Amino acid sequence: MKRNPLILFFVAAIVAVMLSVGVRMSRNHGNRPTPGQLMGNVAPDFQLPTLDGKQLRLSDLRGKAVLLNFWATYCEPCKVEMPWFVELQQQYGPQGFQIVGVTMDDASKEDIAKFTTAMGINYPIVIGQDSVGESYGGVGVLPTTFFLDRDGKLIAREFGLQSRSVFVDHIKKALSQGQAVQARR
Amino acid sequence: MTPEVARVVACLVAYLVTTKRTATWSSLGAMKIFFSVLLLFVGLASVGALAQDDDLGPKGLAVKVVAAPVVTVVQGKPGTAPLTFRVASGYHINSNMPKSEFLIPTVLKVEANTDMVIGKITYPEGQDMSFAFDPDEKLNVYTGDFNVDVLIRPLHTAQSGKYVIRGTLKYQACDNKACYPPKTLPVSFDVKIAKAPPVHHANPAQSPDAHQ
Repeated sequence: MKRNPLILFFVAAIVAVMLSVGVRMSRNHGNRPTPGQLMGNVAPDFQLPTLDGKQLRLSDLRGKAVLLNFWATYCEPCKVEMPWFVELQQQYGPQGFQIVGVTMDDASKEDIAKFTTAMGINYPIVIGQDSVGESYGGVGVLPTTFFLDRDGKLIAREFGLQSRSVFVDHIKKALSQGQAVQARR
Repeated sequence: MTPEVARVVACLVAYLVTTKRTATWSSLGAMKIFFSVLLLFVGLASVGALAQDDDLGPKGLAVKVVAAPVVTVVQGKPGTAPLTFRVASGYHINSNMPKSEFLIPTVLKVEANTDMVIGKITYPEGQDMSFAFDPDEKLNVYTGDFNVDVLIRPLHTAQSGKYVIRGTLKYQACDNKACYPPKTLPVSFDVKIAKAPPVHHANPAQSPDAHQ
């Protein structure tokens, strides 16, 4: 029986695509988005406890440009950028800029507080959860930093330590985008 | 070479081999065409998947076991199991005694065994190194290969034979720009327990002191 090579070609292509999709789906834990898919969309909301026992809901910061920094006490590169964040919070805070640190380690709350006090942190730190990290595409690299405009949309992300000027550029962009409204917090 | 790259290379090689042999559109040749095209598409899809994958950092574990030789020990006598680990190029992990209380030390835990006592675990001294993210601060780390010795002592009553000892190495890796969550590497090594040689007691009747 003679087979049409064109049909064989298409059957092979379909099988290959199905295999590829299957492999991709199995590698994608649950419905975890990739950070690339999140860009331009409203950042996944969360409500997490702060170090001082309050609750912080990300969407309450709508109207402000937000720098969302995932970090851990064991992360030395994270320590390098923290003094910059302290300065940037002071400099751009009056324009409607807010940094939120999300700690992703297993250290006790007391140890984290000790660490942030030693670093002179002047912005809220929330105790992170894996589910929040997953909603942001997974934060398997620390530091991982996201930038949200005033509408809460993700406009940029950075993996690993960056130069201070990179952060400044993203902050300026975040401040210039979206509607400035009175944030609830 | 990562598994993904190896898969792509294997697919392309298979494609080239099968297409070279396909001379006619016979029934057998059609099957070859089918599989060769399938392999080509799978290979191309893998390349595409690699290009879209924007995860950074080590895909798997940054540390692996490179040597865990079989250790032979005699019943009741102590011996040392020398384990060699390798930190992937470009990464470092904290030593067992990092300089800061906030850093996660590298720790080997060995499961208890009913036939032998797990003794002291000896870690190497780390190297004091500074990294690009903070040239002024030195961290005590392991890079490349490092050895951890595990002291073991089979009980006198332990049966001779081969035993598998299991454990885990907990570590936390970083590179020049970022850190990665702590990981736990499964570790196992074989211990061969040999029978203790029979003890020769002097015969009191043959001893010159016996008649004194």
